Amino acid sequence: MKKPVWDLPIRLVHWLLAALILFSWWSVRTHHTDWHIWSGCAILALLIFRLLWGFAGSSTARFATFVRGPRGVADYFRGRWTGVGHNPLGALSVIALLGAVAIQVGLGLVAEDEDGLYTGPLYRLVSIDTSDRARDLHENWFKVILALIALHVVAILYYRLRGRGLLGPMITGKAVLDPGTEPMQPGKWWAALICLAVAIGITRWVIAGAPPFGS
Amino acid sequence: MRSLLFALAVPFAFLGACGGPETSQANNAQANISEDSRVADNAVASNLQLRLSMGDAAKVMHARHEGMEAIGKATKAINRELKGSSPDLGVVRSSAAQMASLARASSGWFPAGTGPEVGKTGAKPDIWSPQNKADFAAKLRNFQGAAQAFNAAAKGGDAGAINARFADLGGTCKACHDKYRMDMHH
Repeated sequence: MKKPVWDLPIRLVHWLLAALILFSWWSVRTHHTDWHIWSGCAILALLIFRLLWGFAGSSTARFATFVRGPRGVADYFRGRWTGVGHNPLGALSVIALLGAVAIQVGLGLVAEDEDGLYTGPLYRLVSIDTSDRARDLHENWFKVILALIALHVVAILYYRLRGRGLLGPMITGKAVLDPGTEPMQPGKWWAALICLAVAIGITRWVIAGAPPFGS
Repeated sequence: MRSLLFALAVPFAFLGACGGPETSQANNAQANISEDSRVADNAVASNLQLRLSMGDAAKVMHARHEGMEAIGKATKAINRELKGSSPDLGVVRSSAAQMASLARASSGWFPAGTGPEVGKTGAKPDIWSPQNKADFAAKLRNFQGAAQAFNAAAKGGDAGAINARFADLGGTCKACHDKYRMDMHH
């Protein structure tokens, strides 16, 4: 009997993030820098939503339920972890991925392209030299993101080989749970709407150049 | 240039003479020396031509790189003014004038033999391929025309015209860079 593990917002954020990272890479490689910037802004909205949902969402979405310290990770290695959602080791991967993508978005917001033709929405908050340096870092930081994605995929394959499929639950939201574990406690639909509205509002403000700071 | 070649050739001629066979007889030694020196002379001349043209290529490529960078900097400075709430027309005008003069100079930035086969550059070899030569020249001319038009607009004060000509100018940069510049990370 399969029980809920991931709610719809979590799954949407996950797959949209994957798709937008792919699109961002493709669009900048093919000189569609304007699309690349819009894609980055969409990722910003996703990240803000995910952050808020980490406090107001379902039980498996909340940082407080899955982020554990070193002892939690050690317990997990000793097989002393039961639960639903991110395990204490996987939580580190989640935080690293979200953090790395957030840094990448932050760099992109203040960056400008080599020719000065395309600019992140917040480029006027920093000097030309800082914008140029942010672009160089933005280019290099993508390697960090790629490495984390590779680790993420390898980990999923590793669990798969050990008989635990993680891909299916991230699509359907449901999984067979170990006996005695509580299934996910869903969040409120209206809380998701509020989080979405706030995320879109902040993103629009950033796109506008973060007035009054950016004008 | 000729005197420089000669000045550099003289020591080589002496070297050639010294390297001549010491056992050769006195009466044909003179002939040997002059022949050796002529050979050395030619070798040095062709070498120097090679080296000087390499030097010239490096000079052009350096000027090109610096010029492009200056154009980029001017674009960024203008961008910051035009997108701001109170653009400083002085900055726009001086950057536009600088860009117009760099655009004029750009006619001399792409002679044959200044591609990636010679040194580090973002210029694609396609620029000099027979089928692209005319297209590249047209794109460079478009850029030069747009830079002059933008400079003229900046001298006037019409914000609408300045923005429109600046967008045109950016379009000519992109048209050429998308096709003829390598994706470089430096």
